[in-house]
Amino acid sequence: MKKAAAYLLLTLGAAVMIYPLLWLAGASLKSNDEIFSSPWFMPESLDLSVYARAWQTVTGHTMGHYFLNTFAIIIPKTLFAVVSSVLTAYGFSRFDFPFKRLFYALFMGTMFMPAIVTIMPMYLMWSRLGVLDTYIPLTVPALFAAEGSFVFMLIRFFSGVPKEFDEAARIDGCNSVQILVHILVPCVRPVIVSISVFTFLWTMNDFLTPLIMISSVEKYPLSLILRLSADSTGNGYEQCKILAMSVIGLIPSIAVFGLAQKKFISGITAGGLSG
Amino acid sequence: MKKYILTAAAGCLASLSACGGNSAGFTPPDGTLDKCTLRFSWWGGDDRHEATLNAIELWNSKHPDITIVPEYGGWDGWTEKVGTQLSGGTEPDIMQINYDWLISFSSDGKGFYDLELLTDYLDLTQFDRDVLSFGEVGGVLNGVTVSVSGRGLFYNSETYKHFGAEYPKTWSELINLGEKFHKEDIYPLDVDIQSGGTAWYLAVVYVQQQTGRQFITIDGELGFTEDDIKEALDFYKKLEDGHVIRTIDMRTDEDGTAALYQSPEFIDGRVAGVLEWGSSVGKYEMTLSEGVLEAGPMLSDDSGKSGGWMIKPSLLYAISRNTKNPDEAAAFMDFMLNDTEAASLLGTTRGIPASRTAEESLEKSGRLTGLAQENDALLEQLDTMTISPYMELAQMKEYYNSAIEKVSYNAADSAEAAHEMYVSITEYLERIRK
Amino acid sequence: MKKKYRNPVGVCKYSGLLFITPFLAGFLLFTLYPFASSFILGLTEYDGIRQPEFTGFGNFRKMLGDSSFLNAAAVTLKYTAVLVPLKLIFSLLAALTLNMEIKGMGVYRTIFYIPSILGSNLAVVIMWQFLFTSDGLVNQLLELCGLAPVGWYGDSAHAMGIIVLLRLWEFGSAMIIFLNALRDIPCEYYEAAKVDGCGKIRSFFSITLPLLRNVIFLNLILQIIAAMQEFNAPYMITGGGPLKGTYTLGMLIYDEMFKYREMGYANALSWVMFTLIAAVVAAAFGFTKRHREDI
Repeated sequence: MKKAAAYLLLTLGAAVMIYPLLWLAGASLKSNDEIFSSPWFMPESLDLSVYARAWQTVTGHTMGHYFLNTFAIIIPKTLFAVVSSVLTAYGFSRFDFPFKRLFYALFMGTMFMPAIVTIMPMYLMWSRLGVLDTYIPLTVPALFAAEGSFVFMLIRFFSGVPKEFDEAARIDGCNSVQILVHILVPCVRPVIVSISVFTFLWTMNDFLTPLIMISSVEKYPLSLILRLSADSTGNGYEQCKILAMSVIGLIPSIAVFGLAQKKFISGITAGGLSG
Repeated sequence: MKKYILTAAAGCLASLSACGGNSAGFTPPDGTLDKCTLRFSWWGGDDRHEATLNAIELWNSKHPDITIVPEYGGWDGWTEKVGTQLSGGTEPDIMQINYDWLISFSSDGKGFYDLELLTDYLDLTQFDRDVLSFGEVGGVLNGVTVSVSGRGLFYNSETYKHFGAEYPKTWSELINLGEKFHKEDIYPLDVDIQSGGTAWYLAVVYVQQQTGRQFITIDGELGFTEDDIKEALDFYKKLEDGHVIRTIDMRTDEDGTAALYQSPEFIDGRVAGVLEWGSSVGKYEMTLSEGVLEAGPMLSDDSGKSGGWMIKPSLLYAISRNTKNPDEAAAFMDFMLNDTEAASLLGTTRGIPASRTAEESLEKSGRLTGLAQENDALLEQLDTMTISPYMELAQMKEYYNSAIEKVSYNAADSAEAAHEMYVSITEYLERIRK
Repeated sequence: MKKKYRNPVGVCKYSGLLFITPFLAGFLLFTLYPFASSFILGLTEYDGIRQPEFTGFGNFRKMLGDSSFLNAAAVTLKYTAVLVPLKLIFSLLAALTLNMEIKGMGVYRTIFYIPSILGSNLAVVIMWQFLFTSDGLVNQLLELCGLAPVGWYGDSAHAMGIIVLLRLWEFGSAMIIFLNALRDIPCEYYEAAKVDGCGKIRSFFSITLPLLRNVIFLNLILQIIAAMQEFNAPYMITGGGPLKGTYTLGMLIYDEMFKYREMGYANALSWVMFTLIAAVVAAAFGFTKRHREDI
């Protein structure tokens, strides 16, 4: 009885959470009139041709081109983020060094800084280095442990690995780097998955940074092409086309989350931000 | 120097075919121009994007050594983007610029390249002297006007037919339509307070027609009195109260912040009129069935006084002051402005070309038709005023729109709103002119 | 007195520094440098084209009389005050429910979490815009339930509701933090409470809440910081309107910086926003002091 009530409550909640997305998928197959007349998400007739039209963009390239662009940003960025965060977290959690408290405080502070402050100076810096309109401004910051919460997650995870492991390895002749690679990294695999997934999702969601740093349409990531198409005025404007593009834009995030979710959730829960 | 090498390297990457360096065998298009890659940026709707991309393709096929890289998007946020580039000195070589950019980015005439220096490649003789003068700042030619255009009224002919209504010729006819259409919950016109700011524009036209005073003068003085501003706001309110236009409350409820041409109300003909530039009306035209959107008369008062309507250079082309290849950029700009083949590809997607060769080429091929042309013809018959670039500044638009919004929501009466606007504008113009 | 560094034998005291080099370099390049230059710009009048002109604290004085700043600050605080408590309550309730040991819980957890991964993805924003138009899904559903449709965008309070609902819908990240903390509470506590005759509700208030207070505080801080920086949703969904009712500080800074090209003022505003966030966080610290163990 109590279980039934719980299931009812959960199912109701889940429906509220997921229905907007279902509606979006359904509405992408509806006519303009149908979108605004029926709250039920299933379209009256199933015609997938809108997706073929949405795949073509006004730029002469297909969405496929922009997917590749996005991945060209995500892949190096993820690698950079993982390596730099692991190193930094290792340094903070396993070593004692001059000014450690100060640096740790600075590190915590960076997590509270409003991002908008830095956009303009960063733009000017990248422009002086002559790398605007490349993916460098989008990927290279990840090389410097730019995402404090990743480091934070790792520190908490590392502290769960007994220091005796390191000491045993050290006695066996391992140096600090070997200990990190052979002992600690295997223990934090779920966190590495979480970091990768977060990097993926946040890059997919980011709009302002590429808007400012990337100027040629050729090099746009998916988020900018969505925006360009949202301004679109094509023949006999179809609401469903922009909705279909939105669906295409969301699929990678949901797919990656779906594939990695077991490891991902254990990564953020076991070592997560919990007190 | 370093920067130069980097740019050169980027150029090489972009056109791998010619990476052999300057001495390797390539032929400059006419013996004097260098091989290079140029960036060209513009904003607009899909019609303009498609036509421009085609024209670029034509150029690239004719001049394989000068590659044009396109950068484009919608109007919203475009000024912000190019402004950032200009601050960083990273703007494209050739830019489509808006009228007010001349004062916000080049108040001393040094913000863009001096085009008089490039007349070897850029044929300026195709333009009337007074059209060219639009692009001058402090005596320096910063931009060439692509087309001269003004806002005109365009109506959904099907809706008007449905009511058996004529397109209004006078303000009072327009206001009478409100009641007539209201019975079926339909609106004869739409104006906005978004980036277009057509609400204030229409009210300004009305008051300018009444008073003969120009709202903002060409050199950036406020020509309206506080009473004039109040009258404009009252006029706007009258349109709302007479159901000529939707209230802002209703308009935003229906569509949020979506553009009018994307809203179901416009597409279904429930909102049956729009105030738009002749050079940009294409995006409205495209969303309706062919031939449904028609140009209507410029409104006059009951005594037939028809002044007060305005024109401006709808767009200009400018060249970056930082460009490494000014001659080549000028050659491409000339192609976009004067080339007859390019003109036929571009059509009227940027309004009726101000260049004589381009206009003639369109006329010959019978392409000089359509709404942009009709709008142009209507404006030509009137005694128009030239819009001040100061009127178009983003901060100024913010003052207009917020006053209109307050009046619409009854958050302030028109006298209060007019006073506030008068003070803000006077202060701002004073600060910006210095 | 010479400080001793507690490192394993044979590890130099600078080894750790070597490992945190990425962070240190990043801090200098991507935090300290932009922040310092933004502070300096904040003391100037600068349009991005002409040379900046030093004006001292002129920008800060200007703020005091700038009604759009005062309005944006008020909107931001109001938004934070509405959203953060609601989000904490929702995510805690969801976490409590999802913490039950029943079959298929994993699926529910995933579903509840999904919206939060989409953040400010433009696609989600476009969808959200559609949901709240006058004949959009939300009003259709209201009518289905026999309720009157709501004019969402036209009214300041309702428009803020659209943004608040979007962020509430994305409560997953806060929920996961609670869920994780709940799992760390040993079952024995509850069993002992049961033996003592405590009801469910009583044991929630006397066991769960006290044990969660640190996590609640952590979530509170994280959510305050996120809410006070809100920019994307109002920028893309309501445009800050109507009547500037959803015009947040983040939007004001963006507009001053990129639209009106008052870069000096925009940078001064960013610093005020930073200070304001610090102040609210400090107030939260003070306010919860009695209820919180030291962390």
